[in-house]
Amino acid sequence: CLWCFLRPGATGQGQSTPAVCSLSCSCDEDGGADCSGRGLTTVPSDLSAFTYYLDLSMNNITELPANVFKNFPYLEELRLAGNDLSFIHPEALSGLHQLKVLMLQNNQLKTVPSAALKNLHFLQSLRLDANHISTVPDDSFEDLQQLRHLWLDDNNLTEVPVGSLQHQTNLQALTLALNRILYIPDNAFANLTSLVVLHLHNNRITGIANNCFTGLENLETLDLNFNNLAVFPKAIEALPKLKELGFHSNDIASIPDGAFHNNPLLRTIHFYDNPLSFVGATAFQNLSDLHSLMLRGAGMMHDFPILTWTNNIESLTLSGTKISSVPAGLCDDLKLLRTLDLSYNEIKELPSLQGCIQLQEITFQHNQIQQVGREHFQGLTALRLLDLSRNEIQFIHNDAFFTLAALTNLDLSMNYLTTLPTTGLRALSQLKLSGNPQMKNVLTVSQLPKLRSISVPYAYQCCAFVGCDSGTSSCGESDIKRSADWVEEERISMIMHCSPSPGAFKPCEHLLGNWM
Amino acid sequence: QHKQISGVSSGCQQGGCLTCSDYNGCLSCKPRFFMHLERSGMKQIGVCMTSCPSGFYGTRSRERNTCTKCSPECDSCFNKKFCMRCRIGFYLHRGDCRNNCPEDMVRSDTQRECV
Repeated sequence: CLWCFLRPGATGQGQSTPAVCSLSCSCDEDGGADCSGRGLTTVPSDLSAFTYYLDLSMNNITELPANVFKNFPYLEELRLAGNDLSFIHPEALSGLHQLKVLMLQNNQLKTVPSAALKNLHFLQSLRLDANHISTVPDDSFEDLQQLRHLWLDDNNLTEVPVGSLQHQTNLQALTLALNRILYIPDNAFANLTSLVVLHLHNNRITGIANNCFTGLENLETLDLNFNNLAVFPKAIEALPKLKELGFHSNDIASIPDGAFHNNPLLRTIHFYDNPLSFVGATAFQNLSDLHSLMLRGAGMMHDFPILTWTNNIESLTLSGTKISSVPAGLCDDLKLLRTLDLSYNEIKELPSLQGCIQLQEITFQHNQIQQVGREHFQGLTALRLLDLSRNEIQFIHNDAFFTLAALTNLDLSMNYLTTLPTTGLRALSQLKLSGNPQMKNVLTVSQLPKLRSISVPYAYQCCAFVGCDSGTSSCGESDIKRSADWVEEERISMIMHCSPSPGAFKPCEHLLGNWM
Repeated sequence: QHKQISGVSSGCQQGGCLTCSDYNGCLSCKPRFFMHLERSGMKQIGVCMTSCPSGFYGTRSRERNTCTKCSPECDSCFNKKFCMRCRIGFYLHRGDCRNNCPEDMVRSDTQRECV
């Protein structure tokens, strides 16, 4: 290591004298000096000139006088966070020719110490977050041509520091989050051609100019979450490389047609917690890298979104809309779909989901479906959960569940069923049938060997599943004897839970005579 | 026993703590400090910091500031998807830690970067 050879007193024959270290610090063999949290009010002066890493964070150094670091020509990382630092002399950092990382976060700075930052030609990372900065002089970062990462979050900025950013062609990551920025003007980041990440979350942004992101040709992550945007950020059209976009927790009411037509590489879009009422049918077209689409509560949305070439979606949630039909060819595009949630819409007919062979969870809860045909769930051998509750289902084809070998959870509650075909449901462990008032017959479970929990319309239907113990007066000795097959009785008693369970006021005998 | 920090007590030796317990260290941090859970044997100790330790990045929000793990091949990152310094054996290019560099670049082992 460089530090070993350059230290004074190094003899070159592998012998090395201990490095010079201040009593206020602990030093390691690589030239690192940790002086953090020692109650220091000034920079220790008795440190080695070969120090390359100096941690002075969490002390009480409230001011940096001139030339305080002039004896550290090899210093690459300087940490001064958490010092209540309020003044940095223009010459304070002179001499730090090799400095790459400067941490000034969690201090009391009111403006960017632009004079002090001069000549830090190799600086790559500059942390100024968690100060009280309200102004960023235009020449603040002028000399910092190697700057890649800049933190200005958690300060008092009311606008994007456009002037100070205009020369930062090498900047790759910038956060302006947690400030008070109201508006983003055109060309705010025009020359930041290398920028990959831009965080603007937790500001007060009410509007952004249509060309405000012009120039950000390499931006991959844009975070606009937790602002006051009332209109969809159309300016994202200037971002061809965008992969991750967030504008959740804003005030956006609609997502227009073709919203992301210029952002073909999008993988994630977070836009929940917006008062969305309308989404254009072509908004999510041609997004072949999109893996998940979650859209809730767009109450004015009538048309199912066109998802051509958005064919790698694994999770699709479209709920709380006025969608009344699902395209027949849905599974032609969505072969990788694993979870489908189309609950709380106005869908009248189930689509055929045969091509979506990787589907594991489907919910059509709270729609207007009236029947389940043979073809709807044909071939879905990976399906584990099917929720058709709160519909108007009167008829289920005998072979509707024939191929659902992995189905463990079936919810048909709150429908208009009279009977239930059980063919194919050998793996079923939870079955919900409550709220089907027309279903009065005794339920045979011989074809449901794995059943563990069932809810039924009437308590008396539970008598077949729940072993009658002495405490239930309505289940007398004769009920047990009546069961023909002990093995069947043994298996039935394995069913842990049946509701509503029979009791004093919900006897096993049918009110109009013995149901057995 | 939860202590409101005025002086420093045995279990809470750090300046960033707001409430702490002797057993678990910091339970909450002063504003603008990052809360990080460090493993200490079977225990987890809460630590309040001005910057997250190596291999973690800080996320600031209105309610709290937390430390989150970088991706496995990254030593120091700006966020989950943007690395600033890779682990040995990986080479940094525009925030990504790669095994190989783009055609027009070469691997620098000292800087762990594509240059």
